Amino acid sequence: MDKFSLLQYRALIRREILEHRNLFILAPTFLAPILFMAMVWIANQLDPDDLGSMISYLAMLFNGLSPVEMAPIFMLGGIPFIIVLFSCAIVYLLVTLYQDRKDSSVLFWQSMPVSNLKTVLTKIVTVGAIAPFFYMAVLFGFYLVTVIWLSILGVSHDIEIAGIGYMFMAAVVSLLLLYISAIVATLWLLPSVGWLLLFSAFARRTPLMWAAGVFIMIGFLEDFLFGTQFLANWVESRANPNQYLIMSFGDVFDRIFNYDMLFGIVVGAILIAGAVLMRRFID
Amino acid sequence: MNTIKSLVLRNRYTLLVTVLAVYVLVLVLEGAITGREVRVIDFDNPFFDLIVRNFEEFMDDSRQNRDADQL
Amino acid sequence: MTNIVHARSLQKSYGQFKALDGVDLDIPAGSICGLIGPNGAGKTTTLKALIGLCDVEGELTVAGRDPRVARHKLMEEVCFIADVGILPKWLRVSQVLDYVEGVHRKFDRAKAIQLLSTTEIPSNKRIKELSKGMVTQLHLALVMSIEVQLLVLDEPTLGMDIIYRKEFYDRLLNDFVDGNRTIIISTHQVEEIETLLSHLVFIKRGAIVLDASMAELAEIYTEVLVTPDKRAQADALGPIHVRELLGKKSYTYEAVPKAELKVLGELHTPTVADLFVAKMKDAKHG
Repeated sequence: MDKFSLLQYRALIRREILEHRNLFILAPTFLAPILFMAMVWIANQLDPDDLGSMISYLAMLFNGLSPVEMAPIFMLGGIPFIIVLFSCAIVYLLVTLYQDRKDSSVLFWQSMPVSNLKTVLTKIVTVGAIAPFFYMAVLFGFYLVTVIWLSILGVSHDIEIAGIGYMFMAAVVSLLLLYISAIVATLWLLPSVGWLLLFSAFARRTPLMWAAGVFIMIGFLEDFLFGTQFLANWVESRANPNQYLIMSFGDVFDRIFNYDMLFGIVVGAILIAGAVLMRRFID
Repeated sequence: MNTIKSLVLRNRYTLLVTVLAVYVLVLVLEGAITGREVRVIDFDNPFFDLIVRNFEEFMDDSRQNRDADQL
Repeated sequence: MTNIVHARSLQKSYGQFKALDGVDLDIPAGSICGLIGPNGAGKTTTLKALIGLCDVEGELTVAGRDPRVARHKLMEEVCFIADVGILPKWLRVSQVLDYVEGVHRKFDRAKAIQLLSTTEIPSNKRIKELSKGMVTQLHLALVMSIEVQLLVLDEPTLGMDIIYRKEFYDRLLNDFVDGNRTIIISTHQVEEIETLLSHLVFIKRGAIVLDASMAELAEIYTEVLVTPDKRAQADALGPIHVRELLGKKSYTYEAVPKAELKVLGELHTPTVADLFVAKMKDAKHG
């Protein structure tokens, strides 16, 4: 593969960001101030004594912890962002191979020397590594403001929660963990990614209905034909967030190199190959 | 090989059915071979249990302390 | 001269409807080829097949490649403008340039900017804010800044007003045509491109009814204005089309020696528009 062929990804990814800036940039940017204001509002509604107790609890919790040990606690603050990222990722994957066919701009995209494989891989990289990056960038700002606010709250109650530098470092470590989690989650959920892309490339209208409808139908079909529920069991195993939320750096290897992960990647690859081939039917 | 390819790629529906058939087949075969049950890797992070359990206690304690102080 | 497009018995069906029913096509490299046919004749399907955007059955080579095997490789040699304003509406003009520069190794950004500077297209506007004519101008500027062998235009001036249309074809001739590059233009407005063409293809109901260079055309087809006294003689020579003209009758002949026709009256080469009408009628009867 020559250099230009790799460089194409830059233009392709930039296109995805521009086209879906609502999902990747605006959504977290709106979420952050709303979340922060909600936090401040709740703190103001609380009984001042209870608030004081909570602050001392935090101080006790953080007491003697290194930033790396503190990080998972900060990850809790990222949960709303993860939920929004998840929803946006689903919308993106359903829309991304469908929208351009609907507004017929696909004729322009397809008239450029970019293979279908490259197009689909771009979508996966975008949802798995680029979108989380924007979310983490916004979350970084959110943490920064929160840490300062916590320190001020602490001072006003005569309690030092933790060193502000310590908390800041913990926030950065938690961002790293969340970003790695996002990548591990994309790999772990690759079958879902492939499924959504397949129906995004297939549906002439309502890709969501197709994706959900066929999924349920196949589950029933397996039960009816073979009398087994391997599909349902498999989905249930996949759905658990514990599988991809990385709480410490030592977990990364185990999370990626295990049988279930690798088998999931194989299944995901089948569906993604289907999406790539499906891309040739654009009319 | 070429006939299979042209058959599968005949239109979007033949392709979809083929992909889904392969998908189901792989899952069912794997399930039958490994006797798949719902399987979850245990992960332990003592912090969360600690946080939730201790937070409740701590808040109760501090409320009681405050009540005692006021008396 | 080599052929840049070579097709044999292309077939394409949408359900019961046969969009292409055995299309044979040979388009020489360096020509300006008009693909002309009524609406629904299979023009768009043929063009899409040429660039790998539509699966067809049959033998097909474009610029030395099979479009169905590696579309992305072919698109380094071929540019395409579709009949609908297909540039993505949410992109800004400058972002379109960025994108094409990023994915097409043969794109010359400086040339595109120079071409755009002669238009009134502002580079910070979104595509959706441009008029239909401007979008086509922009698209043309893009594809003319790419060093390709073949340019495929599907009804490029559809919905544009006459000033834009004239300008569009003038630009195309001045900036793209250099004797090596090939253009295929589909249209149902024959008169507009008649003077540009060096090669002509008529398509009707998914089949090619004429595929010839303009020079060949003048040799094969003859139009004669026949006075009433020679009509029986004219009918006997088997005209493919007869029409009334100012009280006289105009006969169009295919592959009848000019020496035989001379006696009937003054000989002309039929205009593409007349020939089109003749061939479309002819195909209906035959």
